[in-house]
Amino acid sequence: MPKHDTPMIDELESGPWPSFVTDLKRQAEKSPQCWDILGKMELSFRDRITHWKHGGIVGVFGYGGGIVGRYSDVPEQYPGVAHFHTVRLNQPSSKFYTTEKLRQVCDLWEKRGSGMTNMHGSTGDLVLLGTTTDQLEPLFYDLTHDLNWDLGGSGSNLRTPSCCLGKARCEYSCIDTQALCHHLTMHYQDEIHRPAFPYKFKFKFSGCPNDCVAAIARSDFAVIGTWRDDIRIDQSQVKGYLNGDYAPNAGAHSGRDWGKFDIEKEVLDLCPTGCMRMNGEELQIDNSNCTRCMHCINVMPRALRPGLEQGATICVGAKAPILDGAQFATMTIPFLKVDPDNEFEEVVEVIEKIWDWWMEVGKNRERVGETIMRIGLPTFLKVMEVDVLPQHIKEPRSNPYVFWGEDEVEGGWDRSVVEFRKRHAQ
Amino acid sequence: MALSKEELKAAILDKAINAPKPQLYVKDFYACDPDSKPRAVKNAANELVKEGKMSFWSSGSTTMYAAKGRAKDEENR
Repeated sequence: MPKHDTPMIDELESGPWPSFVTDLKRQAEKSPQCWDILGKMELSFRDRITHWKHGGIVGVFGYGGGIVGRYSDVPEQYPGVAHFHTVRLNQPSSKFYTTEKLRQVCDLWEKRGSGMTNMHGSTGDLVLLGTTTDQLEPLFYDLTHDLNWDLGGSGSNLRTPSCCLGKARCEYSCIDTQALCHHLTMHYQDEIHRPAFPYKFKFKFSGCPNDCVAAIARSDFAVIGTWRDDIRIDQSQVKGYLNGDYAPNAGAHSGRDWGKFDIEKEVLDLCPTGCMRMNGEELQIDNSNCTRCMHCINVMPRALRPGLEQGATICVGAKAPILDGAQFATMTIPFLKVDPDNEFEEVVEVIEKIWDWWMEVGKNRERVGETIMRIGLPTFLKVMEVDVLPQHIKEPRSNPYVFWGEDEVEGGWDRSVVEFRKRHAQ
Repeated sequence: MALSKEELKAAILDKAINAPKPQLYVKDFYACDPDSKPRAVKNAANELVKEGKMSFWSSGSTTMYAAKGRAKDEENR
């Protein structure tokens, strides 16, 4: 495949950052179709329109996800990328793998595809970019038989579950995110590999409210570790911070001199609910008003730790801005037990309730967060059998949380307004 | 009463073959048997794909179903 003239694409190499264009040119020495990617991209820049067509019927036998068909609308001009399908591999929980395993994936991809990868895609998968239809089944065979690796989710499937580093690396983690992620990945193999829903559905698991996988912003079903007793305080270590024995934020901001640590300014005044105060040299926290923002714990990790009664908060319905704009997940269940000993029964029960409802009432191509927004949070909470809490309310004065049922109102919903108006002036 | 699995599969396939639109969402098949649970409908549709009587069509973000030969096939256009 010939090298194309790409003046606009070449411009992207001139910035101070590493450029994917440079990467593509390097890869083109081994995989000449990369010259065609650059040429086709140059054409798209010039025409101000994509030259990829939308979707296709490609896949591997028995699977309805994991492969995304991509075809060019200018195949004669750039034959190297006439078909350029994407393959998604299910990443291991927390993305722990050996370099040996990565080399095997890369070697296989150079044999069966373009050699180009995207590690990692937004859902966490290892994304292998660019292969032809005839290579899909051989690739899948090698992947599953030689590498013991499976495809991830795509389309209207459960997408590849993703989690933070959890207890493997992080002292804040209140739940074993890896165990939960792995268990649900295995439990819902059918939903990952075959379409099941009106649209995509994503699980993400964070060990603490720092939410390192951004579950609250990116997943339909976010499990975020939390605690329901009191933040553990070691007053002697609080004094250590006050005396300057330890760097705040575990030294994360030590690049310049910020002056002496000021607990009022750097911790107490920044508490979103103002639930902390100093009584002499003793730090006091009104735990009933703590919103689990994690700021104080992040600043003084030696002195403050999450409580011991640990579990997770379940938030539902985040999504990116395709339709009504981006939305965060809504806190649905403030505290749920996350217990590996009973195979995370409580979490599974919540998931299935959401799915049963959404599969029934969700419209085509409607994320669960959009369904909740369309039908209303009170109905969703009723389906979830959750009592309404003040924390579910966005604007207390315009968004009440006391709702009357038809059976609680005299005459139900069918009462005569005319009769009512005879007794009550408008 | 809900249809048996085989009856449901036959109804889904009939709809996939005769619907004016060549590609349908899984929800479009719910009407084949209002008494069947959505999960049973999707399992039946997926089984038809496994048997080679229907195929998936995916944009990457959404998946649709089509009777064999009715899906938009970029490869053979």
